Parts: sequence; structure tokens; C-alpha cells
Amino acid sequence: MHPTSTDNPDCTLDRLLGRSDIWRGQTKSLDVPAVMNTGYEALDAALLNGGWPTRSLVEVCQKGFQQQEWRVFEPVLKAGSNYVVLLNPPLMPFCQAMIQAGIDLDQVIVVRVSTAADFLASFVELARTASCDILLAWQQPYALSYTELRKCLLATNDGSGLCVLFRAENARQQSSPATLRLLSEITSSDIQLTLFKQKGTLEHSSQPIKISLPKAWTGLMPYHLLDQIPLPGKPDTTQRKPAKVTPLRRSK
Amino acid sequence: MSGARHYYRPGSRLWLALRFSELPLEVLGVDASTETAMVVAEKQIVIYVNESAYKVGVRYGMDVTTAKLLSNCEVYQRDEEKEAKALQDLSAQLYQFTPYIEPYKSEWVTQAGLLLEVSTCLQLFSGIHLLTEKIFTYLHNTHYRFCYGYAHTSQGAWLLSFEQYFISGNENKELFCERLKKLPIQLLHDFPQEVEALEKTGFTNFGDITRQLDAQKITSIKKRWGAQFAQAICDIFAIEQNLQQKSLFDKPRLIYKPVEFFSENIQFDYPINQTDQLHYPIEHLLQNLSQYLRKRQLQCQYIQWIFSDIYHNHFALPVRSDTAESHWELLYDLTLIQLDNRELPFEVDSLTLKCQSAMPLQNRSQSLAFGKRSNSRESARSFAITMAKLKARLGDDAVFKLSYQDAILPESSNQKILLTETANQQLPALHKGALRPHWLLPTPALIEIRKRGLYWRGHLTLLAGPERIRATWWEKPEARDYFIAQRHDHVRLWIFLDLHKKDWFVHGIFG
Repeated sequence: MHPTSTDNPDCTLDRLLGRSDIWRGQTKSLDVPAVMNTGYEALDAALLNGGWPTRSLVEVCQKGFQQQEWRVFEPVLKAGSNYVVLLNPPLMPFCQAMIQAGIDLDQVIVVRVSTAADFLASFVELARTASCDILLAWQQPYALSYTELRKCLLATNDGSGLCVLFRAENARQQSSPATLRLLSEITSSDIQLTLFKQKGTLEHSSQPIKISLPKAWTGLMPYHLLDQIPLPGKPDTTQRKPAKVTPLRRSK
Repeated sequence: MSGARHYYRPGSRLWLALRFSELPLEVLGVDASTETAMVVAEKQIVIYVNESAYKVGVRYGMDVTTAKLLSNCEVYQRDEEKEAKALQDLSAQLYQFTPYIEPYKSEWVTQAGLLLEVSTCLQLFSGIHLLTEKIFTYLHNTHYRFCYGYAHTSQGAWLLSFEQYFISGNENKELFCERLKKLPIQLLHDFPQEVEALEKTGFTNFGDITRQLDAQKITSIKKRWGAQFAQAICDIFAIEQNLQQKSLFDKPRLIYKPVEFFSENIQFDYPINQTDQLHYPIEHLLQNLSQYLRKRQLQCQYIQWIFSDIYHNHFALPVRSDTAESHWELLYDLTLIQLDNRELPFEVDSLTLKCQSAMPLQNRSQSLAFGKRSNSRESARSFAITMAKLKARLGDDAVFKLSYQDAILPESSNQKILLTETANQQLPALHKGALRPHWLLPTPALIEIRKRGLYWRGHLTLLAGPERIRATWWEKPEARDYFIAQRHDHVRLWIFLDLHKKDWFVHGIFG
């Protein structure tokens, strides 16, 4: 009887370690998995292989009713040459904004679901499809257990694209098998992304990565601050306190 | 028999014109022979008048209001598609008599019919009498009324259909020419200006024109009334124009091509009640379909399965693909997805595959990238299968694309379309520079006005605006001033002040 590879424990171990879905702590895998450039230098630098990991599950936890996914994923959506599927989006995407952003509408497909089971089945189907370049899925209002998330992860391993699952902020406290987990928050001037789990590294930066908001979103400066902008050739007067104005009371 | 011997000479032609004068009304399922005055109109102009309406003075080209005032007639709207379909069906049926069938449609008046070249069929049907009898027997079984005319040219036959001469069996070119000479020139419907000019010159019938031709040559007609009119006269009388080898310039007869479609059937040895047992027959029929499509350079998007039992009960299962295919694999997968979601209503005795709407193979552009994109057909197939699975599970409405629709109101400009349709991405310059949110609320949500200002799930502060949008002033006028607002949690919203209601609404969210 010839010895088979399964008879040799070293060989079996090597084969197991060669699998991309085996967590090896700080040891980086030999074969570099494919990634998608995020479009933001700071974010690329913080991510393990310099971009969004493909063929794996990316989990984005969002605070409150914030939905900053378009701003974060816009560069990837523009670059994609294949289909982009929006699974269970919270609202209807606005065509005019997508055209302005340079996203090809013919490549964007919206899938609506009405139950958690449908959501899971659709996610698994879409994640496995080779021609689906980007899958953006919004879990809310459905809850997914660890087992279900694991099913999603396994399905993404069979596909070839980027699969992102948007979850509520409180999902951060729950365990998840996702390859990359991050928290997205919006401030008055930027979007802050905090990576709190990244497979293949134990380093977690405490500093969030900042993505600046478009200038138009910051709006116009309030009238009382207009005189604080230094004019060319004039000394900076921003330290000057604004005049106190007693608000007028409306007479009843 | 005698007709065949008398008339038929190799090379000479015999045309039968069938003119369906009541077609516009008959295709609508209305009996034209009733006493009620009836007209068919197109764009408010009368294009068909029945006999009762004609008697009281309604004429072609009148406007509908005048026709109604004159006769209190019933007005029907013309359906050109139905007319074309009726002529197509008649052609398909008359194909049993002759392969040379041409449709005829006048450009100026509503006259349509079929022109049949029957010289090569006379021997087969034992002469002109028996052939005509068979054709007429068939036509009488349809509900279309018709007039007929025989001549040595197609145009001549059409004109003689207005006189309907008795078929003697001794017809020849000279006799047809004699008959044509008696016809009034007003029958040249396609040349209204020339007919008017001829009338002024004193011409009344075709005989006057032929006399002119005998005295002078065709060039005189060409000079006075144009080359097109001269050609029409030559076509009617089959006048040869001094050509050395005239057979080279003979107008070829059009061969009617019947509509071809795929239909194949498999009879089972025993009744089948499980879908699994149908897999192999389905694959076999689809492979045959694929072969049929490839040989004809066709592709299809829609097929129909018909399951039948021994009691002649039928159950149809339509299968649609988002992309047109000539290969069988995708259609096979889509069929199985459809079958998985339902049970067979009876024990299946026979299975039929029909494909009636095939289209010519489109040129497919393919990326020259030799990497992962090279298998684009395979990936398109896998995507089509995924979409079909999702539609089967979630319903057709749950999977869609979005398209821009040219509209002023934002909610009207967002349009759901099918996956097979192409999205409109032409954004007008007006919207190109304007700031638009990524999410749109299905209906604008009312904003509360509190002491501290506007409130929608948090306090709002206006950042930029306004952008005024005014629309639909002709029905329900809308006037809105759009602003960008920031909520206390820094989320940017697209809000507007309704200038008519004086209320604030949230319409979109910047994401």
C-alpha cells in the first residue's frame, strides 16, 4: 500500500496552513490575497495588503442613522468594471448623485428582501457569483447570528469580489468571523474609520483614519465669523472675540 | 387546364392582385356591411369610410368632427399593427398556392392587399380557373372581403382589381392591355399631382396615355410628368425600354419567406410525475434548439415549455433570460430554477419546447484582456443564473436597476427598470453641477418646527441653499426651496421648504 499525503501529518499541516482562511496570528500568509484600492492613501496604508480585501467579509459598523457608505466606497464603485449589487439598501439610491459620481448605472443592481432568511440566501448567492465585483449589503433591520455570519464569510471565499456588510454600531460588541471590521463615524469635517479587527495582524491603531468631507457639505460660514477670515496683507484677526449681541426677544 | 395551355408561356408572368378594401375596419372585428355609418380614423383624419357613411357624404381625408356632423357615424381608431399582421397571416396561408407573394400598400390612400405571381403554379393546379377557385374558397373562409384582378404585371393586376373582370381562361397580354386602357386615370392614387395635370390636359383614361405613347415615345411622358411617373406607366403595361438584354433588367419576383419558429416535442413511454425525470428530455430539446439557432445565426431570450398529459391538459412554463442566448446551458439552468419552485400539475405524457421569437445574432464585443475577463460569457451566464434564482425566490419586482428619467421633481427622475433595459445616464447640465444626496426618501418626511428651529430625529442647521425647483404648474403646482442641513449628529440632509404648504420636508440623505 502506497503512503498517501493524508498519512503524513506534516503534509496535512502544511496544507492546512496553506489555506487562506486559517488565522495565523501575526504571521502573514505567503500568498498575498487580492485587494481593491480604497482610493484613500491613509486607509490603504492602514489596511493589511494595501486595500479592501476581496474574497472575504468586510464589516462596517455605523453609528446611529449615519450612512456614509457612498463617500467611503465611491472610489471603488467608480473603478469597478463588473456588477455592483446593493442588497437591502436602507433607502432608494438617487440616480442623479450616482451619475454625478461617475458610477455606471447599468452596472448597479438593487435587490430588495423582506425576511432575514431571504437576506441570508441572497447574500450567499451574490457573494458566490464571480461577475459580482462589489456587494454592498445592509443587514438592518435583520439580526444575524455568528453562524449566519460564518455562512456569509464562507460564501465570500467562493466568489471573487468585495463583499461589505453594513451593521449597526452595537454589533461591534458581538463576535464576528469577518476578515475586516471597522467603525464609521461622521464629524463636522470628516468621516472617521476605526479598524478594530483585521485578520492577519494584531495591531490596532487607536487613531481613526480620517476621510475629509466634500467642501460643499461643510456649508457656508456663519455671518458672524465672516470678518475673521484674514484678508491678504492684513494681520490675522481670528483671535479677536466676536462682539456680544444680546438676542432680541420675540414679543408675544 | 385550358387556361394553362392558352396563357402560360415560359418567361411570361401572370399576376393576381387581391385587394382588401375593408381591411382597416375588419381587423378591428367590426362587420363593414352593416347599415350603420362607420369610419376609421387616424390622427383625427378619416382613412376609411363604409358604404353607409359614403352615401351621406363622408369622404377620405375628412376630419372626424365633420364626418360625425354629416353622418353621426361610429368612429374607430386605426390599428396599423393589426392590418400588417392580417396581411402577414394571409400571406402565410396563400403560400400554399404560390411562393411569390408581395404585400402592396398605397402611400396615398388606405388600400392594402397582396400580389401573387401564379404563372409557375398553373400546371400544378390544373389551370387558372381551378387555381382561382381554390384561392377564393380559402379567402371566403376568412372574414376579409376582397377584390381581385389578373394581369401580366403586378401594377396592372392591382388596377384591374378595381374592375374585377370575369376569368375566361383565354387571357393574354393583349387582352390585359385592352382592359387596362379602359380604366380611368384617377386610379393612379400614388400620383395625385400628375393625375390632376393629366386631367387638365384632357386625358381621361389609360387609353389616352397609351395613344400618346404610340404617337411619341416614353421619353415624352418622362419629360412632361417625370421619370417616376413614366416608370409607373412602364410597370403597368410592361413596356420595354430599348434594352439590348432586357432579361437582365427584369424586376425579380419576391419570394415569400414564411415565419419560421422552433417547436419540438418528446412523447414519453410512461407518465412522468417527478421533475427530476424531466431533466434529460429538457436538455435534449434545448440542445436541438441551440443547434437550430446556431445554424440560422439566431439567438433567443424567451422560450416556452408545454407539458401535456394523456387527457390533453396543457401547462405552459415560460422561461425568460435577461440576455439573448444561442447556447442551451443558461436556458437549461433557468428552466430548472423555474421547475424547482413548482410542482407538476399532472403526470406529464409529452413535453414541447417552443421558441417563436428568435432574433438575429448580435455582434458581441469582447474585452481583449487575456486575464480573468476572458471568460466574460461564462461570468455573464453565472450572473444571469444568480439573478434568475433571486427573482424566483424574491419575485421579479425585488431585483431591478435604476435609471434617470428626465423630470424636474427629484422623486420623478428616479426610475426602476428591468435588468434587460438600458439605463438613461444623460444628466442635463442643470443637475450636473447641483449637489444631490445619495439616498432619496420614498416620500418626503415632514420636519417639525420647534422653538429651537427645525427638528427631524435631531436638531437641524441649514448649511447651504436655497435651490428653487418649480414644476408641474399645469396640474398640481410644486414649488420647493432645497437646502443642505446638518443634524446634531453631523449627518447631512437634503431638505426643502414647500412654498405652497409652507412646511419643511426631508427628501434625501448625503451618504
